[in-house]
Amino acid sequence: MTEESNFAAQIENDRNKLSVRCQFCNCLMLKANEGSYCEQEVDVPLMQQKQDRSAEALQTEKLRHFWLIKDMMTFENIGFSHTVDGRKFLVCADCERGPVGYHELASKFCYLALGRVVHGDK
Amino acid sequence: MAKKTYDLLFKLLLIGDSGVGKTCILFRFSDDAFTSTFISTIGIDFKIKTVELRGKKIKLQIWDTAGQERFHTITTSYYRGAMGIMLVYDITNEKSFENIVKWLRNIDEHANEDVEKMILGNKCDMSDKRVVNKERGEAIAREHGIRFMETSAKSNINIERAFCELAEAILDKTSGRESAENPERVVIDRKNNDKAPGYNKCCA
Ligand SMILES: Nc1nc2c(ncn2[C@@H]2O[C@H](COP(=O)(O)OP(=O)(O)OP(=O)(O)O)[C@@H](O)[C@H]2O)c(=O)[nH]1
Ligand SMILES: [Mg+2]
Ligand SMILES: [Zn+2]
Repeated sequence: MTEESNFAAQIENDRNKLSVRCQFCNCLMLKANEGSYCEQEVDVPLMQQKQDRSAEALQTEKLRHFWLIKDMMTFENIGFSHTVDGRKFLVCADCERGPVGYHELASKFCYLALGRVVHGDK
Repeated sequence: MAKKTYDLLFKLLLIGDSGVGKTCILFRFSDDAFTSTFISTIGIDFKIKTVELRGKKIKLQIWDTAGQERFHTITTSYYRGAMGIMLVYDITNEKSFENIVKWLRNIDEHANEDVEKMILGNKCDMSDKRVVNKERGEAIAREHGIRFMETSAKSNINIERAFCELAEAILDKTSGRESAENPERVVIDRKNNDKAPGYNKCCA
């Protein structure tokens, strides 16, 4: 994952300076300069739900920093979940871990969370 | 404005009887502990994968089909825009093989006329339970003039190769018309052409 203190260094001209990759398998998700930075407060399910059977509720966290991708075909490799409440969740196309962000059906935009991916050209 | 940074876009569908392994072909066979319970519960709808074939950058949009779909319920809207179809049977299930003919008829009736097809005999890792031998798969494919491969989603045999072959077959078909279809295609900077893991390997 990319630490929040390191987010600013990833932004160049409001875009992602480096490629965006899966933090687990390094699969290339998005090439450099293809996403635009945006801030919004959104609840996103945790990648690891606690294995506490008694807790039925979905565990989420508020995320604020995203790469906005307006055309889903801009991605190099990405997976889309089935729809839940007007959103599809984005996962790594190779190892399927996620969600690393979400796709909003109404706008057709995709949002990739900076904190759930790694940034680097290798 | 967004530039197009790829040459071609192919929409592919996975079709076949329930239980033949379509979902496992598209999604990794992961019973590993890291799989998010959240994601595995809701399931994955489709994937976008980028491959490079003959110097062209191709985006594959690959769709799974819902388990309850049957050939008689799948109609034109379902196939809309599909350029390639993976028709899957299970080598341990005779019925799923027999139904290939029905699926082919359904595709003929409802899909685009020049859709590229490929037959996959999946679960080839289960040799002890095999009831459909490879020759029968080859024969039916030959009869219909389409490609064939035995695969295993579980052991990851031929999965990536199959997608590449299908994409390549579509590419062969479209290459003649490509300039007309992509008048504004941008040239890709080769130096920055990251190799995506996975499908690329088999296309070299
Ligand atoms: N041994 C073996 N089992 C497999 C393979 N592929 C799938 N399976 C198993 O077959 C079963 C059905 O697989 P699915 O991928 O859910 O089948 P499906 O075609 O998506 O079925 P529907 O969604 O109902 O249409 C599961 O239990 C898988 O674990 C394979 O290559 N080898
Ligand atoms: Mg399925
Ligand atoms: Zn990954």
